[in-house]
Amino acid sequence: MITILSVILLVLLLLVGKKDGLKTYICFYLNYILIYAYIFFVVLGANAIVMALIICILASVITLFLMNGNNVKTKSSFISICIVLLIMFIIIFLLGKYSNIQGFSYESLESIGAYSFSINYNMTYLIIGVVLVCTIGTVIDTSISISTALNEIYLNNKKLSSRELFDSGMNVGRDILSTTINTLFFVFIGGMVGFFFWHTSDSFGYIINYKSLVQEIVELLCCSIGSIIIIPITAYITSKNLKKVKRKKNGY
Amino acid sequence: MLKSIKFKHIILLIVSVLVIIFGYNNYFLYDTTIVKVTSISSKYVDEVINQNITGKIMNGDKKGEEASFNNTTSISGVFDEQLHEKSEVFVKMSNNEVTEITGVKRDKYEIILLVLFVDLLILVGEKKGVKSLFSLIINICLSVLCIYLYINKIIGIDLLPLFIILSAIFISLSLLICHGFNKKTMVAIISSIVSVIISFLISYIVLECSKEQIYFWTMNDIEIVSDYEGLFYINILLSGLGAIMDIAITISSSLQEIILKSNNISVKELIKSGRAISKDILGTMINVMLYTCYVSIIPMVVLASRNYMPLSNAVTTYGQLELIRVLTSSISIVISIPIALYISIFIYKRGDNK
Repeated sequence: MITILSVILLVLLLLVGKKDGLKTYICFYLNYILIYAYIFFVVLGANAIVMALIICILASVITLFLMNGNNVKTKSSFISICIVLLIMFIIIFLLGKYSNIQGFSYESLESIGAYSFSINYNMTYLIIGVVLVCTIGTVIDTSISISTALNEIYLNNKKLSSRELFDSGMNVGRDILSTTINTLFFVFIGGMVGFFFWHTSDSFGYIINYKSLVQEIVELLCCSIGSIIIIPITAYITSKNLKKVKRKKNGY
Repeated sequence: MLKSIKFKHIILLIVSVLVIIFGYNNYFLYDTTIVKVTSISSKYVDEVINQNITGKIMNGDKKGEEASFNNTTSISGVFDEQLHEKSEVFVKMSNNEVTEITGVKRDKYEIILLVLFVDLLILVGEKKGVKSLFSLIINICLSVLCIYLYINKIIGIDLLPLFIILSAIFISLSLLICHGFNKKTMVAIISSIVSVIISFLISYIVLECSKEQIYFWTMNDIEIVSDYEGLFYINILLSGLGAIMDIAITISSSLQEIILKSNNISVKELIKSGRAISKDILGTMINVMLYTCYVSIIPMVVLASRNYMPLSNAVTTYGQLELIRVLTSSISIVISIPIALYISIFIYKRGDNK
């Protein structure tokens, strides 16, 4: 089933994107391998947070430079992503450390019951790493969308000042923002449909403190917060960089 | 102008601080007894930690009294809670003694994150941010309402048709609230609905034709719905929905922005620009699906692998469901790009010629 679906995906990508479609497909698999590698090293006993940071940097390098080439927009995006990664790391680390969202909750007892729980691996670090890796996908997406749109606007009208470019970037960013959050929300509700059916008879106070829901909410909100703070940062850095490149080309 | 902005920001700050203070002091809302940990002494025995805990009761009749109890936890923390100072736990009491810890109170962290999220949304997104917040709340209420109506058998249609109708409503409502009633939005709504229909049909046909058994490990305890497959299709349908809307509105709004900035652009140049935009979002959108859906299996896979299940087995067993979700969503993303591009150009340029 997975094979059929991936073949359909490949064919569609080739039809829609041609050469870029193939690149996207390769990138998709590289990212898949990256997540697989993350699990592999974590199972071997590597520190989940350090591994997550490495994976995040590698993922942005793959998605930006391999997919979109080495140019002004990808460089600007990369710098912005690194800044946001640092901010998100601080937020997620504090959250993970104090809110006890590691591990599993009662509803998955049937799935995990067969296993021994003394696995000698700190699940708190794992959940911090997982949320961090989860966040990076949206952050990369929002960042590249804004810098690409800014680049297109700039190419179509080179007279715009850096300030006007920033405003255009924020304008595009706001459009992207609302839908990105919608995307995330639908992924969240899609995944949680089962949860809501399971807990229909429980009180609101019980559900709101329930571990697996809190995990999902933390993932959702961290992704959203990451994709919001990336907007002004990318718009600012890209608009500055586009102007800088132009000045260099003109020889001042 | 400057004054009004400052005034708004001060109000936002005050409201945020008040909400967070409320989050820290909302013990009175709970019926279950809450104990706040004041001191802990831990004893390590191999991987197991025995915690001797003293705490203060925060609500109910015995508010302010001291309580002490034991908590067994482990270094790994797979299924237990390692408490620390200032943790708050729900407990069961009998005869002034704490008998059982029923859960950890986590709502203040959610409230802090939520406040941070809303503030940033308002500061960065301004008017559009408020609108998307509004559409988010409506979407959440709608889905909860539908699930409630379904469970109480108030509406008598099947789960899948219900959610298919609901998804069309989701698309129209979210886009209309966020972007207003204008050409850009109408273009996006039309292309989203066309894309959702086509992509869902493809996924449905593939999944129905291959009679492979899916292991529904994430849904195995749900008693109310006997039909896991229906639930799974809803899962697929909803997961791709947001991304499809995202692409439709991105393409239609970017094309409009380009037309606004340079008026006399030809159809050919528009297609070229549209291609450039879609080329870049194509790859990253698929990666969003991969990262947001697929990483949630990691704790399960790590637990299984650390219990000596081969890694590749663990990934196929527990990752299958999420991988199907990622792939079907990706297919819908790819399909929605040409649909959105051509519908946008067709409608924008037809208006131009008049």
